[in-house]
Amino acid sequence: MHEDPGLSRRDLLRGRLLGQFLGRLAQAATNKVQAVQEAVASSAASQAKPADPDPTASGAMGRRLALPIHRPPGAIDEVSFLAGCTRCNECVTACPVGAIVHAPAKFRAAAGTPMIDPHTAACIMCTDTPCITACKPGVLRADQPRAMGVAWIQTMACLAHTGSFCTVCSEQCPVPGAIEVHACKPTIRPDACTGCGVCANVCPAPTNAIVVMPLADRRTRSSSSGHH
Amino acid sequence: MLTIDRRTFVKASAMAAATAAASGSAHAVSLHVLNNQPEGSSLTWQKAPCRFCGTGCHVMVGTENGRVVAIQGDQKAEVNKGLLCVKGYHVGLALYGKDRLTTPMLRKDGKLVPISWDEAIDIIAKRIADNPKAFAMYGSGQWTVGEGYAGNKFMKAGLGSNNIDGNPRLCMSSAVTGFLSTFGVDEPPGAYDDLDKCDVAIMWGNNMAEMHPVLFSRLVDRRTRGEKITIIDFTTRRTRTSEQSDQVLYFKPNGDLAIANGIAHQLIKNNSFDKDFVEKHCNFRQLGAKPDDKTPPDMLGVPMTFDEFAKAVEPYTPEKVEELSGVPADKIRMLGEMFGRRDLKINSLWCMGMNQHTRGTAINCLVHGIHLLSGHFGKPGDAATSLTGQPSACGTVREVGTLCHLLPGGRLVANAEHRKEAEALWNVPEGRIGDKPGYHTIELFKRFNTPTDQGGDITTVWVQVTNPGQTLPNLQRNFREKKNLPDKFLIVSDVYPTATTELADLILPSAMWVEKNGMYGNSERRTQQWFKMVQPPGEARDDCWQLIAVSRKLMDMGVEGMKDKDGKWIFHTADKAGVEVPIWEWPHYYDTNVDERLFEEYRPFTTKKHKHLAPYSEYVEHRGMRWPVVQQPDGSWRETRWRFSEFDDPFVAKGKGFQFYHSVSKDDKALIWFRAHELPPEVPDLDYPFWLCTGRVLEHWHSGTMTRRIPQLHRAMPRAYVEMHKDDASRLGIQNSEVVTVKSRRGEIDLPVWIGGRGNPQPGEVFVPFFDEGKLINLVTLDAYDPYSKQPDYKKCAVTIVRKP
Ligand code: SF4
Repeated sequence: MHEDPGLSRRDLLRGRLLGQFLGRLAQAATNKVQAVQEAVASSAASQAKPADPDPTASGAMGRRLALPIHRPPGAIDEVSFLAGCTRCNECVTACPVGAIVHAPAKFRAAAGTPMIDPHTAACIMCTDTPCITACKPGVLRADQPRAMGVAWIQTMACLAHTGSFCTVCSEQCPVPGAIEVHACKPTIRPDACTGCGVCANVCPAPTNAIVVMPLADRRTRSSSSGHH
Repeated sequence: MLTIDRRTFVKASAMAAATAAASGSAHAVSLHVLNNQPEGSSLTWQKAPCRFCGTGCHVMVGTENGRVVAIQGDQKAEVNKGLLCVKGYHVGLALYGKDRLTTPMLRKDGKLVPISWDEAIDIIAKRIADNPKAFAMYGSGQWTVGEGYAGNKFMKAGLGSNNIDGNPRLCMSSAVTGFLSTFGVDEPPGAYDDLDKCDVAIMWGNNMAEMHPVLFSRLVDRRTRGEKITIIDFTTRRTRTSEQSDQVLYFKPNGDLAIANGIAHQLIKNNSFDKDFVEKHCNFRQLGAKPDDKTPPDMLGVPMTFDEFAKAVEPYTPEKVEELSGVPADKIRMLGEMFGRRDLKINSLWCMGMNQHTRGTAINCLVHGIHLLSGHFGKPGDAATSLTGQPSACGTVREVGTLCHLLPGGRLVANAEHRKEAEALWNVPEGRIGDKPGYHTIELFKRFNTPTDQGGDITTVWVQVTNPGQTLPNLQRNFREKKNLPDKFLIVSDVYPTATTELADLILPSAMWVEKNGMYGNSERRTQQWFKMVQPPGEARDDCWQLIAVSRKLMDMGVEGMKDKDGKWIFHTADKAGVEVPIWEWPHYYDTNVDERLFEEYRPFTTKKHKHLAPYSEYVEHRGMRWPVVQQPDGSWRETRWRFSEFDDPFVAKGKGFQFYHSVSKDDKALIWFRAHELPPEVPDLDYPFWLCTGRVLEHWHSGTMTRRIPQLHRAMPRAYVEMHKDDASRLGIQNSEVVTVKSRRGEIDLPVWIGGRGNPQPGEVFVPFFDEGKLINLVTLDAYDPYSKQPDYKKCAVTIVRKP
C-alpha cells in the first residue's frame, strides 16, 4: 500500500505543507522578519536580476548589527525616530488593518517601537494615513516619503514564473504601476514599490515568493523638499 | 512561542524547489535543503489524484503522525508530470479547516442539535420507508466511483426509483448528449496527448489557463521548447487564456452556433472537406419534426443527405456569420481554410462555455461535426475534447450512471433490454428497475421546493458531496422555497457547513479525500485509485458507509428491495473465507476493502459500451489508466488513448482505419449534425441591458467550500466581484471597487466592480464568479435549460447594474 515515490531525502523535504507551520509563523512574526532578511542575504547573490535592488546593499545589510526594521509609512531617519518615538501606541491603534505592531525584544533599542510585518498583516497604503495623523511626536510625518521598503519576487518560487498561472500580487497591490504583468508573469518595479507588503501577504505560492526588505538607509527629508 | 529558525525557513523554501523542478528551472533552493535535513523525518508518501478539478493531476501525499503534512506534484503522473496548480499545492489543507463537521446534527425547533449516528441512520431509513417514491438522492462528480455505484444501486436496484441525479447535470450533460448524438457512446475519443501533438488548439469559450491550468501549461510549455503552436481563443471576455492566444475572436453569446456552421459552409464551398473520411465514416443528421408544441424533436434526429446538409449550411456565409456572431468574416474564412488543411493537427477544447448553454447539445454536435467533416479526427493531435470540471464527473457520474436516466456502463433506464441486463448483473428480480427516467436536477429541486399538495411530490432529498444551495440556478425558486415548507426534509452529507447545510434538517459529517479509499475518473477516461491515509475527524464517516448503513437498516425494517433475488442483502460482502463482513457497522467498515469490492462488482457493467476496466489491483499500481483497458496475451493490461482509431483502439476491426462501433446509425459511422443558429431564451433589453456570464476563478474550486478554508487561497481571492468593461463603467459613472447591485428578473446581489481585472468582458457584458457563498450570484441566474441534456445556462442571462444611492 505504501510506496516509495523514488524520492531522495532531499526530495522528501520538498512539498512540506507550508500550512503546517503557518500557525507558528503567525505567532513568530518577529523571527520571520529575521528569517526573511537572512534569506535575502543568502539568495541575493545567487539571483541578482535587473529588477532586484542592489545586491550589495542587502549584503551590507546582512552584516549590520542593528536589524533594519520595517517602519510604518512616513517614518523619519532611524536615529531620530528612535529618539523621538514615545512608544505611545497611537499609530498602532490608528491602523485600520492592524498592520502596525510593537517591535519585539530582539530589536533591542527599538523594542516596543512600531513596525510592520507584512507577512502577518500588510500596510494597505491608506490615502488618509491615519497612523501619520495619530503620531504626536512627529516621527511619522506627512512630508516624508511613504515608501517603507521594497518588495521583490523570488522567481523560482513564483507560480507564474515556474510554469503555472498566477497574478494575485499585481491584482491586490494598492500602488498603481508597482507590479506589472507581461505575458502572464508579474514583475515589481522597485521605483514605484513602497514595500507595503500586500503582495507578500497574499502570495499563494507554496513557498511565498515575495521578499520585502525594509528601507536600509532612511533619511529624513527636509520639509521644503517634501511634496507628499 | 514556537520559533521559526533558519532551517525551518529553508524547509519552507523547499516547496518552491518542487515547483521549479517541475518546470525544469532553478535548483538553488534544493541545495540549501540538502544541507539542512531535519533529523527524524518520518513521512509516508502515497499517491492520490488531486481532490479538486477534472484535470486529474496526481499528487504525492506525505503523512506523519496521522496527518497530511506535505503535498507534491507526482513526477510519475503522465497528466501533470509533477506540476500542480495553486489549488493542488494546497490540497492537503482542504482537510484542516477549523469548522469541519464532526458529528451528525438534527434540526429541532429550528436549531441544530448533535445526535448519534444510530439515530441519524434511523431517521433517514424511516423517511425513505414511509414514502420511497418521494425520496431523491443528489450527488456529484465528487462521489468516488464506489460511492456513486453504491448510491445508484441503492436507488435503482434497491428502491426501484430513478430519482437520483447529480451536479454533472449542471456541468457536463450537454457534452454527454453531444457525444451520444455523434458517436452513440459517451466521452471523448481523444486524450490529453493531443495537447502535446496538435498544431492548433481552439478554445471554444474555454478559459483553460484559469480552469485547467496544468493542461494549459502542458500546452503552452511546448512554446518554450521551440515548438510552434497556434492558440485560437473564441471568447466573450478577455482572459488569461486570451493573453497566450495568437487569435482572440470575440463572439456574441450563442454566436458559437453560427461560427461552427460557418466553418462547415467554408469546408464545403472550398471543396476542402475530407471526402474520403466522410464517405467512409460519416452520415448526416438533422432534427426531425416536433411531435407537438411542447415536446422537442427526438435527440437522435433524422437522416439527411450530403446535398441537404450542404444546402442547410449554405446561408452561413462569412458575412452572415459575422452578423450573427460578431466574428469578422475574414476570420471565418481563415478558420475554414485552416480546417481544410490536412497537414495541420487541430485540437478543439471546451468546458462550461459550450455545455452551460441552452443549445449545448447543438453546439457540442456542431464542433464534433466540423472535425469529422474535415477529417481532423482520431489522429494524435486531431481531436475534439471536452474537459470536465469535477474530479470524477466522468468516472463516477457518466460511467457509473448516477443520473436519473442512466444505468451503469452507458445503459439507459428507458431501454427495456438495458434494464434487463442491469437487473441480471445486480441479481434482482426482473421489473425491479423503474422504466421511466426520474427527475433531472432542476425538476427534482423544483418539486422539492413546491408544496406537496401542489405537485411537489419530492419530500425528502439526500445530498452528498455537493452544494446545490449555492450552485443551482435561480436559487430562490429552486432551493430556498423549501424553508417555508415544513413537511420537506433535507439531508446533507458534507465536510463543512455550506449554503446547502444552512437549510438542512439533518447533517451528516463525512470523511473526505484521503480520509477514505477512493477512485476517480478524469476528463480523458483515466480511472485513478487511492488509499485511505488518515482518519477522518471526530465522528465523520465515509459517504459510502452512510448509504450502506441506511440500506442495511431498510433491509432490517423489511424493505424487500434491499435484498437480491436470492434473499441476500444487495451490499452483502464476504471475506476470502466466505464469511460475511458486517460493513454496515462502522468499526468493521474497513475490515475489508469495500471500494475494491464495489469496483469489482461494477466492472462487468463496463464492457457493453467497450469501456473495459482493468482489475482494481492494476489501478493500485498505476497513476490511472485510460479505458478501454484490455488484457494482452502476456497478461498485462493495456490502456487506450485514441478510441475508434485502428492504430490504438483494440475494438476497431483490422483494415477499417476508423470504426464507430456504437454508431447511432448502426453502420459504424459517426453523425455529422446540422443544427441551426438560434438566439438565447433571455437577451438583454432596455430594462436589463447587460449580459451576465458566471464562472470560476483559478484559486477556488466549485463553490469554494474547501478552497476558501485554505488561508493562502482565500487571501489570494477573498471575495466575489463583478467585472465590467471600462467604457460601460465610465458611461454609468461607476468607479473601480464601487459596490453596485447586479439585478435580474429573478434576484439581485451587491458586488464590488472590478474594472480591468483578471478578465475583461466586452462592452455590454458583465462577469461574476460563483465561488463566494456570501455573494450568491445564482440568485440572479436563469434556470432555462437545454431540451436534451436538461443542463441550465449559467453563461448568459439579462441583468441590469444599479448604482447605490
Ligand atoms: S485543481 Fe486541477 S489543475 Fe489544479 S492541481 Fe488539482 S487537478 Fe491539477
